[in-house]
Parts: sequence; C-alpha cells; structure tokens
Amino acid sequence: MMFGGMAAVRDVTLSVAKGTILGIIGPSGAGKTTMVRLLTGALKPTRGSVRVLGEDPQLFRRRTRERIGYMPQLFMLYPDLTAGENINFVASLFGLLWPRRRRRVHEVLRTVDLWAARGKRAADLSGGMQRRLELACALVHEPALLFLDEPTAGIDPLLRAKVWEELHRLKSLGRTLLVTTQYVTEAEECDMVALIVEGQLIALDTPADLRRKATGGDLIEVETAARFNASKLVSLPHVRSVTQQSPRAFRVTVDDAGTATPDVVAALAEAGGEVVSAREIRLSFDEVFAELVARDRATRAAPADANAAKDAAGGPHTEKRKARGSDKA
Amino acid sequence: MIAALQTITRLLAFIGKELIEVRRRPGAIISLILGPFLIMSVFGLGYNGYRRPLQTIIVIPPQSGLPSDLSRYRDVAVGMDILQIAPDAAAPLQRLRSRELDAVIVAPPNLEQQFRSGAQSVIEVHINVTDPVQQAYAGVLAERLASEVNAQIIKQAAGEGEKYALAAGQQAVQIPPDVIAAPTRAELKNEAPIAPGVLSFYGPAVLALILQHLAVTLVALSLVRERTSGIIELFRISPISTTEVIVGKVLAFGVLAAAISTITVALLVVALGVPLLGSPVLLAAIIALLTVASLALGLFIAVISDSERQTVQLSLLLLLASVFFSGFVLPIEEFTAPVRIASYVLPVTHGIRLIQDVMLRGWTNEVWEMFALAIIAAVLLVATWALLRRSMTRA
Repeated sequence: MMFGGMAAVRDVTLSVAKGTILGIIGPSGAGKTTMVRLLTGALKPTRGSVRVLGEDPQLFRRRTRERIGYMPQLFMLYPDLTAGENINFVASLFGLLWPRRRRRVHEVLRTVDLWAARGKRAADLSGGMQRRLELACALVHEPALLFLDEPTAGIDPLLRAKVWEELHRLKSLGRTLLVTTQYVTEAEECDMVALIVEGQLIALDTPADLRRKATGGDLIEVETAARFNASKLVSLPHVRSVTQQSPRAFRVTVDDAGTATPDVVAALAEAGGEVVSAREIRLSFDEVFAELVARDRATRAAPADANAAKDAAGGPHTEKRKARGSDKA
Repeated sequence: MIAALQTITRLLAFIGKELIEVRRRPGAIISLILGPFLIMSVFGLGYNGYRRPLQTIIVIPPQSGLPSDLSRYRDVAVGMDILQIAPDAAAPLQRLRSRELDAVIVAPPNLEQQFRSGAQSVIEVHINVTDPVQQAYAGVLAERLASEVNAQIIKQAAGEGEKYALAAGQQAVQIPPDVIAAPTRAELKNEAPIAPGVLSFYGPAVLALILQHLAVTLVALSLVRERTSGIIELFRISPISTTEVIVGKVLAFGVLAAAISTITVALLVVALGVPLLGSPVLLAAIIALLTVASLALGLFIAVISDSERQTVQLSLLLLLASVFFSGFVLPIEEFTAPVRIASYVLPVTHGIRLIQDVMLRGWTNEVWEMFALAIIAAVLLVATWALLRRSMTRA
C-alpha cells in the first residue's frame, strides 16, 4: 500500500483462523492502522489482494458488512449525542431492529462499564470512556469478525484487563478478532501475533513460539560466586549459545531448560565455577520484540553490519550456529 | 421484508440523530425559528419606504425675471425641501460640494428671452451623490420639476392669451389654463388582489431566502463534519448505502425545515398580517420543493468541500449570490441573459417568486418554476450521490 510514493504496508501475507485473536503489534507508524483499513475495505491495496470472509473488502456485500465490527483508532462518534444515543445510532446503521437493538445497547453499555454514563454527551466523557464507547459501538451488532484498532490505548490497566476479558469472551463465542496495539505485553493475550515494523511483517506466530524465536530456545540465567568465562559452556550438547552479562553472570540458551539446567550446573562445577543461582527466565515481550526487530534489521543489512548491530545490542555472545532461521512467516 | 425494515431503521436513525443534535443546541433552535421571524419583523416594522426630501437651494439670477418668493416654488419642487432662494450659484454649490445640501437648482438667467426666441432653456439640477439609486431618484425629481415648470409656463401663457383674446372682443375657447397646460393626468389602478406593502412583499421573499440558507448550511455542515471527523469511515464499513445516507440527510433536515417553515409562515400570517391568499397545500408543496432543492445544494457543497471552513465560506457566498441575483433586491429581468440564466440555477430564485405568488396572488402562473426546482434537486442529488459514493468506497 503506497502513500505519496512511500510503502505504508508491503509484502504482508497472513491468514487468520476463525475463532482466534490475532494481535497486530508494532511501533507507532509501523502500518498497523493501514493494514486494518486495507482489511476493512477503507483502503484499496496498490498491489496484491485481500480476502476477508471470502470476499474482496472493496466489494463487500451488505450481509458481509453486517458481520464486521470496527473500532477506529481515533474517536469518530458524535460529540453531541449521549453514549447511549451513539451506540443506538451505530446499531441502527448495522440494521438492528428495535427490540434487539434496545437489548444490545443495554448489554454493551454494561459490558464496557458505561451504563452509569449512558446519558452523558460523548464530548463530556473522558478519553478512556470514549475508547470504551467506541468499543461498545464495534460490539453492538455482535459481529463475527472484529477489527479493533488500539482498543486499549489511553485506558487504565484495570479497565484494559476488563477489555481483554471481553475480547476473550467474544473469542469463546467463536468470533474472530484482529487487534492492533502498541502495548507489546498484550501479545500474551493473543492466540497469534503479527509483528509489523516499517510496513513489513517480520514475525507471525503464537506468543510462546515468538519468545522462543527471539531467544533461540529456553534461557537459563546463571550467577557464579566468582568471575567465570561462560564461553566454555558452548560445547555442551544442549547449549545453543551463551551471552556473558557481567563477569559473574551469563545467560545460556538451551533446547529445553528442564533437562539442560543440571548439565549446565555440572559442567560449570567441573570447570571450577561455583554456582550461586541457575534459573530459567522468560524474557518480557518488550525484550522479545526488541530482539526480533533488531534481528530483522540485522538480517536485512549487510553481513558486516549485522555483526556490528549484534555487538551493539548485547554483551559478548558465543554461538554454536553461525546463522539463525528467518522469522518471516 | 427484513431488508426494508432495516432501511427504514437506518433512515429513522438519521432523522433521530440530526434532530437530537439540533435539540442539544438551544441557541440554534432560537436562531432557527425566531431568527427569521425577528428579521422579518424588524424589516417590516422598521422600513416604511419614506424618502427624506432633498435639501435644496434654488438659484434665481436677478436678470431672469423669475419670482424670488420662496413660497412660489414649494409646490413645484416635489420631493424637495426648498431651504432658500439665492441670487448666485457659487455659495450654494460650495455647500453642495461639502455635502451640506442635497441639491442646487439653477434657473436659466434669460428664460423669457429664450422662450420668445424659440429656444429651450435649461434648468440645472446639481447633486453630489455616489449611489446610483440616489442619482436615479434625483433624475426623476429633476424631470418632474421640469414638467411642473413647463406646465406653469404654459398655464401662465394660456391665461394671458385668454385675457388678450377677451380684451380683443373675440370669443375665447372655454378651456381652463390648467387643462391646456396638462391635458392629461394618470390615475393608477392596481388589479392585484392586495395593496402592495413592504412587509407583505418582502416577507415571503425573506422566508424563501432564509429557508434556503438554513437548509444549505445545516445539511452541508452536518455532512462535512462527518467527512472530516472520520465518521464517514464508519459509514464505509457499515452496511449503509450512499443512497441511504443521502435520503437520511434529506429526510432529517426536511423534517426540521418543515417545522421551521410552518412556524415561520404561521408567525408571518398571524403576527405580521402577511396575507395567505392561496392554498396552504400548494404553499406547503412549494416550500417542500424549495427545501429539497436547497438540501441537495447543501449536500453538493459538502461533498466538494475539504473542510468545515470551506463549507461555511461557500454557504456565505451562496447567500450573497442569492441576495443579488434571486430577484430579492433587484428584478431578474434587469440582468443580462447569462446572469439571468445563472440566477435560475439558484433554488431561491424560484422559491421567492412562487411563494410570493401563492401568498399574495392566490395562485401562480409560473408552474414551470416548480418543475425547475424539482430538476435542480434531481441533478444536484445525482451529482452528490456520485461524489459521495466515490468517497465512501475509496479513501
């Protein structure tokens, strides 16, 4: 998708299974909203094709549109209408007839915790309440497929949890959800995660597999009583790589932490090291994505530049394999 | 069946939404309903058509032989307030240039001599105005002054001739000098069903103008806000069609315009005494046509505007064009053909004539103007549909 000669989204190929939550994650300006707008038919791709619910979004039939819900990134409702009136209007646009419309408006107002504020003008709602109102409008017609563009942006952590609770409930009802977010920690909430950087899909996998991809396996963090050169451990059969964090601390990447940890501790003792602690660690998704983004940039750059980027990203790093597999899905 | 009910639901949603938004702004309601009525009331009650007499000095040169008695000229100079008779023009002309006076009339210095020699004399009427309407008015007064003076001269000559004939022992013709001086006079008989009045004439015109302006502005701002705020994206994704959006807008603001028109017409007729000689049903039909054509124009402005500011500017330009070219101030017949054609593109041009005819004459012979309103509405709605559909399917 080109904007003024620049590609906003390019070479993205992904398919989403019914009844799953796909999280589209990436930094601001990565192309997440553009991708959602391509999927909803608001934008036409410059090249390639998009199929949603088996149809070209540009040519959605009316019945298909009734099955789609959309929550835009920015507040796009009527400021002079109350919360209840806005939801009622959107429900009418989607063709909900009166009895069902009334019931659903009440339901979604309670779902997003806006029942008490149903009579307040949208302009008088706080930023977080406006986001919830947008969410309520996207949910009111019980769509089979939901596009949520940063639904949790600007709302407090408690409510964020409640929103995800509702999204999981929708998923349990067989709905398919595409959720964009800048909060990478929310990747844990998704069944599949697409990581987009500069308009390109650099990873698409389950959260657990993404973590493994970022680290190359399980991670064991080891602390020794005295200075220890961890590169000696790389020759062990389960060890993939070792990264020295400090003179007395290092991380060992292994195939399986459960079976490899005793071997690592034993090998360390044999080499004269005294272990203070050895435990499996899970990188935060911030670290996972930072690693994946850095690796993608390094892969795209020249080999010499790639090495320089790796050196800059972490401490001394000893690998058993010279190259890692591509993360591109 | 369900599809039809869903369409009705969408249309009703637009009507409800627009009416709620208007209701939320009490100031808007006051200005929408009371505004037009107050404008008409102030105009009707405040304008009486009175023209202040021109403050005038008449210069009678001593050698002219004309009387210099002020009272002799008061009846002759219609529409003028004769302040003084002066023997010389220099000082009055200086006062005229400094705008202390409206006019200076300079009598010919040798009127009798010129007359006897068979030559026409000139009465100079000096004015100092920049307004073409005032100049035209002064010209009319000058013509009338010349006629009056001529009549006085003929009357005087006829009287002297009659005396001379009688003195010579001849039979005089029994025709009074007044009749000889002015053998005819005009008497105006107006066949219109009502006596013309400022309020009754301009009231319906103001109604048409304000109705067009309100319809254009309200619907244009409503749609352009939806376009610029991004709500149009919701329309794009939802199952609503372009036709439903347009029909929804027309119905919503049509209901609003109908309420405003009903109240305004009632106030006009009951409170200001403007006659309604024609059928209220016909008047309602004309107002409905004018409203739909105006709404179509407003929707068209909204789809060609990039911002709310541009919409407001275009609406104001349209109002200005309507005041000048609709026949509201100046008769359409006085414009050149191309401008006249352009004026017929404005819904208000037809609205003013039709509403005035139905209210003040009871019927209209210009039925074609009703078709013209329908055609304007149809063409603009089709153009709006095409442009809006494009922006609803492509971003």
